[in-house]
Amino acid sequence: MDTTMHRGLLSALIAASILIFGSAIADETCMSPYMAKIVGQEDFVYVWTLGVEGVGDEQDKLVTVDVRPDSDTYGEVVHSLSVGGRNEAHHSGLTDDRRYLWASGLDTSAIMIFDVHTDPAKPSLSRRIDDFVEKSGGVVGPHTNYALPGRMLLTGLSNSADHGGRTALVEYTNAGDYITTHWMPTDDNLNGAVKGGNFADGYGYDVRALPRRNVFITSSFTGWNNYMMNLGAVMADAEAMQRFGNTVVVWDLHTRKPRKILDVPGAPLEIRCAWGARSNFCFTTTALTSKIWLIYEDESGDWQAKAVADIGDASLIPLPVDISITADDQQLWVNTWNDGLTRLFDISDPEAPVQIMEQKIGAQINMVSQSWDGERVYYTSSLLANWDKVEAPEGEDLQYFKAYNWKDGELEHQFTIDFLAAKLGTPHQMRFGAYSLYGK
Amino acid sequence: MRWCLAVLLLALPTIATPEQQPHHKGADRPQVLAPGYSALKFPAPAARSYSLPSLGKAADGVLLDSSGTPATLHALYEDKTIVLSFIYTSCPDVNGCPLATFVLSQVQQRLSSQGNLADKVRLVSVSFDPVNDSPDVMADYGNSFRRHNVDWRFLTTASEKSLAPVLDNYDQAVIRDIGPDGESIGTMSHILRVFLIDQNKNIRNIYSPSFLHPDILLADILTVTADDVPIDQ
Repeated sequence: MDTTMHRGLLSALIAASILIFGSAIADETCMSPYMAKIVGQEDFVYVWTLGVEGVGDEQDKLVTVDVRPDSDTYGEVVHSLSVGGRNEAHHSGLTDDRRYLWASGLDTSAIMIFDVHTDPAKPSLSRRIDDFVEKSGGVVGPHTNYALPGRMLLTGLSNSADHGGRTALVEYTNAGDYITTHWMPTDDNLNGAVKGGNFADGYGYDVRALPRRNVFITSSFTGWNNYMMNLGAVMADAEAMQRFGNTVVVWDLHTRKPRKILDVPGAPLEIRCAWGARSNFCFTTTALTSKIWLIYEDESGDWQAKAVADIGDASLIPLPVDISITADDQQLWVNTWNDGLTRLFDISDPEAPVQIMEQKIGAQINMVSQSWDGERVYYTSSLLANWDKVEAPEGEDLQYFKAYNWKDGELEHQFTIDFLAAKLGTPHQMRFGAYSLYGK
Repeated sequence: MRWCLAVLLLALPTIATPEQQPHHKGADRPQVLAPGYSALKFPAPAARSYSLPSLGKAADGVLLDSSGTPATLHALYEDKTIVLSFIYTSCPDVNGCPLATFVLSQVQQRLSSQGNLADKVRLVSVSFDPVNDSPDVMADYGNSFRRHNVDWRFLTTASEKSLAPVLDNYDQAVIRDIGPDGESIGTMSHILRVFLIDQNKNIRNIYSPSFLHPDILLADILTVTADDVPIDQ
């Protein structure tokens, strides 16, 4: 029995000590294994939202959506906290105790730390970090905000020297005090890593840990020069297209030293690791080559990477973006931004994923978050301010938050919030909140 | 909105070793024991081959030792390397407080054969349940684990009011579990954290159940302790 629930309706907390070794894990499926989890009905979805010129107050903001089915305000925005200015709001992540939500900006490198435990329905800004570049020694574009015990590990996308893709990982205490910086290994400085293929580009993007194997895995994207440029201009610029990451790095989790650099060409983005006690592998997808890659530990204990499936027709540039693994390591949601499709892959054989369904969600699609039990799936639309589409055919939403129930192999639409019509901005990453996490 | 009791931390599902679990399956996975209870599944880090940068100063606080005498954390820390564990004695989660005490007992056993290092290390277990864990209870609890020639202290606080600033300073969230009638059911929800504090009162690592293991803790103790202590893991 994993849960004890009082009054039968509310979300349940699973503590990290159980979580890491326990049964079901679900984006709840995709967050840090060190973090307390909501295993029942989530109460709120926090949406880190880009401010847009000419839309509302034009500022980045944390938007709180009520997703309690029995609530009078179900499906509505119940709180919005603007942070002053635009930062290219992108990803966010909760601390291990889930009391604070870190949300960062790729352009300004600003980091907001929101208190989500004092009043889960009304997050407040607890601290703002504006010296990330200076403190980190020149890292630009804090991306993934990943919980480690008592601290946060942030991936960078770029650097202040040339605004290219060479970057680092940066550690902070949960309170927001800088600890240290770990630069990605490059040909110039492998820092003890084994170069497993042709590349050692030093690029960064996402990070996920497999504590039971004492490793964490990082992926690679592109630098500030590219992600702040118009997408059409990037794709028309052959030189710019050369400046995308081609690597995944396997690190020693405890010593924070890079162990091996794997060739994964085509900008490997999100990383999702399996949860089974002997499932020593993770998935990533490549944006430019539209493939699912398996990052795995072989029988000799060495780490390898291989492409295991195509995602749509790569020649049409579907552009896979966010992915989400299910509780039982059996399925993987894969969104493709350009065609607005969410796709579900059967990954019961991790070496041979098979797409088993697809559904159009909007004119474009980026993030996906699913509940612990996999019964609710949420989507948002924004990728990057300068990459997002600006127009779509009638009826195809451009900037939305959409809620679905996943039942009997079908996505059942529950509600949509049009973020432009609501004068909020463009919605990006989602994280869940629940009163029960804090004994409320 | 009032309490939704969700005490997964305290629920103890079926225990199984990782080897008993099906490959690539998850839905029916039984609960497994934390790595700290068995041999480490990967090579332990080589002491002093890596760095553990400071996470900031370890805060002071007023507690009661197991004889009921007031004691401050900083006085307790002296110039020792400290392993600090927050627990409560009736904690039923095998991967929570009992894990912390088990791992510290294993570290104690290793230290007992390394007198030079043992002299520089102090183990500290602090209860976050002052209502039930009186100094006498902590003394009895400690006597069950403490062995000769290794310094392991068991402390509590005079009240929840005096405990609160200590927990706050160490970012240790604790929720007393409440039953349907609104009364405490005697258990607490918390995230297990164990702290490694160096001889200058800097926090150098924070452990969760996933890597709280005697081999790792000993390597870290050696890494942060004055390097006149020979490495003999």
